[in-house]
Amino acid sequence: MRPANASLLGTTTFRLALSYLGIFTVSAVALLVLVSWSTTMFIEWQVQETVEAEATGLSEVYRDRDLVGLSEIIGHRVRQDLDARATYLLMGLDGHVLAGNLRAWPPEVGSQVGWARFHIMPTGGLGPGAEVMAQVYELADGYRLLVGRSLADARRVKSAINRALGWGLALTILLGVVGGYFTSRHMLQRVDQMSRTAKSIFGGDMSQRMVLSGTDDEFDSLAESFNEMMDELERLLEGIRTVSDNIAHDLRTPLNRLRSRIDLVLLGPPDCEKYHRTLEETLAEADNLLATFSAILTISHAESSARLESFQPVDLSQLASDAAELYEPLAEEKEVTLTCGVEPGLTVKGDRHLLFQAIANLVDNAVKYTPAHGSVTLAVSSLLEPGMVDLVVTDSGPGIPEESRDRVLDRFVRLDATRTTPGNGLGLSLVKAVARLHGARLMLGDAHPGLEVRLRFVHAKD
Amino acid sequence: MRILLIEDDSEAAAYMVKGLREAGHVIDHAATGTDGLFLATSERWDAMIIDRMLPGLDGLAIIQAIRAAGNTTPVLVLSALGKVDDRVRGLKAGGDDYLVKPYAFAELLARIEALSRRVSAVQPETRLKVEDLEMDLLARSVTRGGHVVDLQPREFRLLEYLMRHAGQVVTRTMLLENVWEYHFDPQTNLIDVHISRLRQKVDKDFDPPLIQTVRGAGYTLRAAR
Repeated sequence: MRPANASLLGTTTFRLALSYLGIFTVSAVALLVLVSWSTTMFIEWQVQETVEAEATGLSEVYRDRDLVGLSEIIGHRVRQDLDARATYLLMGLDGHVLAGNLRAWPPEVGSQVGWARFHIMPTGGLGPGAEVMAQVYELADGYRLLVGRSLADARRVKSAINRALGWGLALTILLGVVGGYFTSRHMLQRVDQMSRTAKSIFGGDMSQRMVLSGTDDEFDSLAESFNEMMDELERLLEGIRTVSDNIAHDLRTPLNRLRSRIDLVLLGPPDCEKYHRTLEETLAEADNLLATFSAILTISHAESSARLESFQPVDLSQLASDAAELYEPLAEEKEVTLTCGVEPGLTVKGDRHLLFQAIANLVDNAVKYTPAHGSVTLAVSSLLEPGMVDLVVTDSGPGIPEESRDRVLDRFVRLDATRTTPGNGLGLSLVKAVARLHGARLMLGDAHPGLEVRLRFVHAKD
Repeated sequence: MRILLIEDDSEAAAYMVKGLREAGHVIDHAATGTDGLFLATSERWDAMIIDRMLPGLDGLAIIQAIRAAGNTTPVLVLSALGKVDDRVRGLKAGGDDYLVKPYAFAELLARIEALSRRVSAVQPETRLKVEDLEMDLLARSVTRGGHVVDLQPREFRLLEYLMRHAGQVVTRTMLLENVWEYHFDPQTNLIDVHISRLRQKVDKDFDPPLIQTVRGAGYTLRAAR
């Protein structure tokens, strides 16, 4: 990422602002030209109308009262026209002026008849005077009449409009550039902030999160997604770390036991039968280790997987019945009654094998911790909560005190401090991981006496 | 049995070669994917054991290649990848069985021997017979020495699997996978309890006992010597 100020002009936002400004300027100029042109046209058209009306009036006077009357009227009108907008000239063949407010026939008009434009000398005599629009008539006996009107007003309006529009344009461009600069600087600051956060996460500080501005804009939603991603990542990394810690702690002990057992036998005198016995014990220990190891892997797999797209509808009722059937002989051997009350055909979305493993772990635990003549119940029902499927395993064993219920879900936790019952302390944490993967709620409760474990799944109706 | 082993880990390969030879099999070993493919296609084998991750050519690619060539030799896939989807991928590529590392040698031996039996029994059988134990697959009835043995459906399937692999060792995992059709680790000796129930019905009142425990491996169905 580039430093903020050096690259400001090169940012996407600024380039975008500039190109919008360009388009806006071009259209503003086009609009200006159009407005100025149409205003001029409108004023000139008005002048033309006025001149025409006046000329018509004068020609009527000429028809009724001849040259004398015409001269009088022109003289009268010139006197009345105080702001000197109108121009009249009645001139004889030899060039002498009969009436009017021009000293001589304007050379720009010459001998043409009809509409003409010319400039009159201002009284000061400097520079070109106001432009006049005039109509020229040929009268009898070579007399010529010129009736005109100054276009100075039209010019003034036009230049006023042009000036106003020009200033407006300049202001627009200025605001555009300044606005673009500040907008892009603002955006760049946020992008820079994000990039700094990302860098410090790279640097190893996994707890860093993007700062939200609270405006709920696109940057906030980007930052939110990023933060969610980081939470998930952190959770996964934490999981990996826990697994490696656990492997270090809980596999080291049995591995060490394994090693010292072999060591001890090798120290003694060679004895074939002793060797054989030790090897058998070692093999059993190794098998246990492998089982623990694969349980850890299954848990981490369940914990790290996203809810898979490939999840299929699974008949939870069938899984529960199968598990009950599978564990029934074991329960019988332990003189525990295993009853199974399953509402048929309830499906959830998931991984069949992982779900079965979870149910098996629950039933296994229940049978294991229930004393002889006790009972274990496995039930699947959709009636407890609408849209949900509950799988409940209840036993009549010692139960779990309320304060320990959260703790037993962690890895390698066994409440039985003497560790006389077989097991690796991973059973419930696997259930927890499978529940999380399937979006199910895991609840531990009291069965008075005994433990009630409830898994609440979303019912997958087809 | 002539078995081809394609495995790049020389120590693991030496261990397997030794064990399989002691079990009476003829075994050839290839250490790379390319050598393995060459041996697999150029000679006739009764079974192949193929490691999934190999230098040169991936194990699954070898299986796909030999299957594409119309070779139906049973293949056992060995892999360190043990998730259900990995297993499915391995079987989809044309593997007949999938064994996750680390494994017990007894498991490998039992599975490879079960595989060779699977090919020989492709045509559907209607009756199975071991000594005086008879199973009628159509009527779903079992008799021992002429006496009817009453079995639950699951017990029937368990006995059927044992009978189909009579004389071979079947492991507890194989029973779970094939009789119950779940891949999972039972934390207790579940299968042993089921077997002991079956023994009550099949062996208790008869002689000789047919269901034998093979230490460190599993079970086998045959007359005790």
